[in-house]
Amino acid sequence: MDLDRAREWRMTESRTAEARVVECRDLRKRYGDLEAVAGASFEVRAGEVFGLLGPNGAGKTTTIEILEGIRSLDAGTVRVLGLDPRRDARRVKSRIGVQLQTASLYPYLTVGELIDLFGRFFPRRLDARRLLGALGLEEKRDAQTRTLSGGQQQRLSVALALVNDPELVFLDEPTTGLDPAARRSLWEVVRGLRAEGRSVLLTTHYMEEAEALCDRLAIMDRGRILELGNVTELVNRRFRERAVHFTAIAGLDAASMRAFPGVDRVVLEGGEVHLYTSNVAATIGAVLAAAETLDATPEELGVRRATLEDVFLDLTGRALRD
Amino acid sequence: MEALLALTIANLKSFVRDRAALFWTIAFPVIFVLLFGTLFGGTGTASFRVGWVDLDHTASSAGLEKAFARTGVLTLTPMSDASAMAQTRQGQLDAVIVVPAGYGAAVGKARGDGGTTGSVSLTLYTDPTHTSTAQAIEQIVDGVTTGVNQAISGRPPLLSVAVRPIAGTAIASGATYYVPSILAMAIMQLGIFAAIPLVQQREKLILKRIGATPLPRWTLVGSNVLLRLVIAAVQTAIILAIGLVGFHVRITGNWALIAGIVALGALMFTALGYVIASFARTEEAANGVTQVAQVLMMFLSGIFFPIEVMPEWMRSIARLLPLTYLGDGLRQVMVGGSPFVPLGVGMGVLAAWLVVCLAISARFFRWE
Repeated sequence: MDLDRAREWRMTESRTAEARVVECRDLRKRYGDLEAVAGASFEVRAGEVFGLLGPNGAGKTTTIEILEGIRSLDAGTVRVLGLDPRRDARRVKSRIGVQLQTASLYPYLTVGELIDLFGRFFPRRLDARRLLGALGLEEKRDAQTRTLSGGQQQRLSVALALVNDPELVFLDEPTTGLDPAARRSLWEVVRGLRAEGRSVLLTTHYMEEAEALCDRLAIMDRGRILELGNVTELVNRRFRERAVHFTAIAGLDAASMRAFPGVDRVVLEGGEVHLYTSNVAATIGAVLAAAETLDATPEELGVRRATLEDVFLDLTGRALRD
Repeated sequence: MEALLALTIANLKSFVRDRAALFWTIAFPVIFVLLFGTLFGGTGTASFRVGWVDLDHTASSAGLEKAFARTGVLTLTPMSDASAMAQTRQGQLDAVIVVPAGYGAAVGKARGDGGTTGSVSLTLYTDPTHTSTAQAIEQIVDGVTTGVNQAISGRPPLLSVAVRPIAGTAIASGATYYVPSILAMAIMQLGIFAAIPLVQQREKLILKRIGATPLPRWTLVGSNVLLRLVIAAVQTAIILAIGLVGFHVRITGNWALIAGIVALGALMFTALGYVIASFARTEEAANGVTQVAQVLMMFLSGIFFPIEVMPEWMRSIARLLPLTYLGDGLRQVMVGGSPFVPLGVGMGVLAAWLVVCLAISARFFRWE
């Protein structure tokens, strides 16, 4: 199908019938003793890129797989494109695109053969040549998938998620393990999906990826959604301040730093100090003075705006980095 | 239907491009058929090297040499007495036949009076350390001398024995036994080796990924079964062709019945492959279990040697194994082999195994 026409068709349909492509309310899922998802609620609007951001083990993959209809839920309600992903599995699966976290597929088939094979699983399919072109894989058409690089494999697995011209695309950690160049090229693909009018739900544990791609996002940790909104909202809601950060100094404890001028909040994490302050100059002055009395130098001293990283740190007391 | 066909073709391509799979299912059984067919072919290819020491040098002794050569199993090398003994000691000859001087004269005399007077003796030297070879050569020599005696005396023997196989149970040569047996082995391997790609595809989340498409699961199973049936047909064609062309094995049975047994065997062992994949968590585990299973079945199911020659304890294990009945059935139908159990009973056992394997897989097989 012609991509522009498809896009127009989707946009009008989305606007009228399905303003919300995903609705997830009080979702719960337990594996033995582990409560993987402990009451998650969020929704994805038509045409947006929505991100689930959180560390490994936060319950992102479980959530996304329940929405894809390949995993059952214990409690709560989910709707995908207005349908129940388990009861209406065939209909939902025909209209969504799925990319799983690990991507190796039929090592002995070529890229072209694999695209063709997956196309035959669906009632509706995109032209294979244009799809490969859009993902920069046209030269790899006749290469067996086992010979592809990590980035190419990942793009192939996204291509497979698009064979059926889906309205909603699920991408689970699409850039994990990729080098920066490959990551950026995949970001372009995701932006392209939005430009075509598709909705995207992606999971990631990379801050900069969430900031770069997502219209809105939910921060998830230990099976719960901690915060929801767009990036600026999330940051501004917590931080009007700037962060002064430096390597921790022995003898300088959190209580004494909280007394520094302008400091609202002190976070100690992984040998680093983060002072959130409304008065950067006064705070830095106090840090330098305190260091001098302890006969120490504050290493790696710097100032920055608050980021999603700070939001996560503030919410959980842990850094998101893996 | 379109998806089933596409998936089967994709599986077939994967299969052909994976050299290891191709080796085990096609090359391996072919090597076995060639090996066992050649070793135990029994179609008169055996030949003994015999030193021919003629101390007589008459037309009669030359005629005797021709009579021995006509047997086709003795390769005669004329030589002197001394060198023949030396070569026998070095193992270059299996035996030495010495024709004494005066043989021709004795024959001439015997022709004159009807063979009632006098006698002359050939000397046969054999290597007593090679009992079976020595015995075989003694019998051949005995047979030839009897014939020559009759020719000289002109009296046919009163009593003779004609050796014939019992109708319907003829195992004419080793190849006749091994061709259907190794076909059964190949089908067994084809089936249980289905476990390995299944576990691979589960580990690599290929099964899960396909589960996220609207493709019904039976299509996935169906394409796998279809693939195995196609390969079983190819195996059957190749192994039968080798048997027919290479070893002159005569296929006596009904082709439809042969195809039916091959299909039932392929289905049953593929189901067993699913059972293995139900319990093997990793590819390594699946590999280990299939290897052990195939080796045990290979040696305990009458593939390499008949169940009749097994000790009783081994035979009671063989009675439990499905490969016993597949091999037995194929031997019965293809070459008229003597039945271990009636064909209907054997196929019943295979069908029972199939049902049990299906039930276990349906209960325990996991897609991820």
